[in-house]
Amino acid sequence: MSQTLALLLDAYRDLNSRRMFWIVLILSGLVAGSFAAIGLTPSGFEIFAWKFPSFFFNSRVVSPGEFYKSIFVSWGINFWLSTIATALALISTAGLFPDFIAAGAIDLYLSKPIGRFRLFLTKYFCGLLFVALQIGTFCIASFLVIGVRGGAWEPGIFLAIPIVVLFFSYLFCFCVLVGVWTRSTVAAVLLTFLFWVGVVCLHTTEVALLGFKLADHAAAQRIDHEIVATNRQIARAEHISATQPTTRSSLELATLRSQLVQQQSNRAEHHGAFDRAHAMFYEAMIVLPKTSETVELLHRELISRARLGEAASDEDDSNQNRMDLNGNPVPVAELQAELRSRTVTWIIGTSLAFEAVTLFFAAWIFSRRDY
Amino acid sequence: MPSATGDYAIDLHNVTKIYRRRVHALQGVAMQVNRGEIFGLLGPNGAGKSTLVKIMVTVVRPTSAAGTILDHPIGHKPTLASVGYLPENHRFPKYLTGRQVIEFFSALAGATRKSRRRRAEGLLDLVGMAERADTKISQYSKGMLQRIGLAQAMGADPRLIILDEPTDGVDPAGRRDIRDALLRLRQQGVTVFINSHLLSELETVCDRVAILVGGRVARQGSVDELTITRQFYLFELDSPPWSSMNAALPAAFDTAPVAGHVIRGKLPDQTWCEFDGIHLRVGHTDPAAAQPILDALRRAGIVVRRMQVIRPSLEDLFFEAVTDRAGGERVSPGAMPPPLPRESS
Repeated sequence: MSQTLALLLDAYRDLNSRRMFWIVLILSGLVAGSFAAIGLTPSGFEIFAWKFPSFFFNSRVVSPGEFYKSIFVSWGINFWLSTIATALALISTAGLFPDFIAAGAIDLYLSKPIGRFRLFLTKYFCGLLFVALQIGTFCIASFLVIGVRGGAWEPGIFLAIPIVVLFFSYLFCFCVLVGVWTRSTVAAVLLTFLFWVGVVCLHTTEVALLGFKLADHAAAQRIDHEIVATNRQIARAEHISATQPTTRSSLELATLRSQLVQQQSNRAEHHGAFDRAHAMFYEAMIVLPKTSETVELLHRELISRARLGEAASDEDDSNQNRMDLNGNPVPVAELQAELRSRTVTWIIGTSLAFEAVTLFFAAWIFSRRDY
Repeated sequence: MPSATGDYAIDLHNVTKIYRRRVHALQGVAMQVNRGEIFGLLGPNGAGKSTLVKIMVTVVRPTSAAGTILDHPIGHKPTLASVGYLPENHRFPKYLTGRQVIEFFSALAGATRKSRRRRAEGLLDLVGMAERADTKISQYSKGMLQRIGLAQAMGADPRLIILDEPTDGVDPAGRRDIRDALLRLRQQGVTVFINSHLLSELETVCDRVAILVGGRVARQGSVDELTITRQFYLFELDSPPWSSMNAALPAAFDTAPVAGHVIRGKLPDQTWCEFDGIHLRVGHTDPAAAQPILDALRRAGIVVRRMQVIRPSLEDLFFEAVTDRAGGERVSPGAMPPPLPRESS
């Protein structure tokens, strides 16, 4: 136990000595502080002492509480925590393992009565401490700003700590694997960013393909309904044509049959072209960490727990006019429902499975290597 | 001479390390270190010294190894709580102070908070770093780092201390301090294992030494044991002509020495002798046995300038061990090639 505490204390001293740690911490404070600098008044809004009159953006239209929650979700989480702060944290922590296993440094640790696996895991969790401290600071500051300035005390905000740490850990485990394998900080940073971009692209493509697939299915379903209706009309027209044959009824029958052919032709085009592509990307995503979905999980949880629904609903509105590649409208509600049907267990479980496998390989390399 | 395993702090047998199936760094090393002694490990670059040390402290995994360290098998992690280690070219965390380094690594060795604080204070005094104890490591000189490194190795009150080049970069005063600290440790019953290039220093503090050459132990024993059989009489002569020398010691040497080379031969009583044109070396230390040689030299009209018993230094032993007897060449740095397969008869 004293060994673990010593390693934790050492990790804190290490972080404390890194300038980047303090830079990110100060920036986190500034980002949260900047929320407080913006205020709503009955006649408009203010930034520091400057007042800006507005008919659409004032405390009579939006309550201060909802306003700050909205900023927290869209800027605090989407922009700061899950992008900029994470990138800075990766840059700061990428050198932890390459420095740790450098010749002359690792000898001192390995010659102590601590198993290599335990040493590895302790060091890994010490790296996560960096992000936990950063996010903790940001959440406390945001909690106070939303409470004091907005009058809404939302403890649900603190859910950001475990969720963002979890999100960071997906990238950090990969960073550790590369760092242990190559012993290079530069390689660890570059390959981790490449991996992150790759995962985000894959996720974005998978969601886009899912949208196209649903749009395709919806179009096919619509055409099926039209074919059924046309068949009914043809049957009726045939009956009329047989009982009361006229030139008009024959013409109408011919038109309906031509329409049916056209509809069947259209239906043939919607043969599930996106199903296979989507399935391929979906299967690839199963084994990879769900970075975007984990952050979205935070939205989801905050929306239900901290009642930030109003803040997030605006984002959904912007998706209402999405179209697929063939110009068919994407059924956004269905898409949202489909994405939200992915359970927390599935998102976190598969991501943690990836993390466990990656960490196992990194620990295996660390434990088997001669230094 | 200790015979039971329990008498040895380090008892190694057949320690082998092969890197990537090609480089044979250690080839069946056997080594015994008694409890409470200072033991020196010597060897040329690439002889496998650091690999052997790293195997003992579990930094490197052996290909095969048998034996014990402090009565436990090699690689037994809990035993390392009683082993202090100072690696060569160590890199302490730069954000720590000297005091924090000692306390941190003592904590990793399992020392309690109270004991490590108390010991750190005493050790800082011992290595002469009390005044700079709270300065960041990044501001230390190489010598200061070595002093703190030594204190760190002693931090958890170990029974065995393994030091890899402990005096590297340390000034003469610092070396004396380190030497005194090692002697004090021996008095306290601590076993000290030193891997060093500084032969003269090892000679002054080590009870026993081993010389590692090409991954094998070439010599092992106390400095006295190793040198007593290599003592000899040296006769310094006044550049005698070869005819006189041949007349004095007929049949000892086959040919005249070429300038800068040594010729070897044997006296009628089968004692070895060497002659390089000026110095005659005869392989015994008995004054009575030296008299007939002296008489023979005088009879041949050779002037003897000086005559004395020479005891080889550790350096002489070292060079003898690392020199190929047949070719007279010194072994090249690096690991030895793998042993050749035995021919089937």
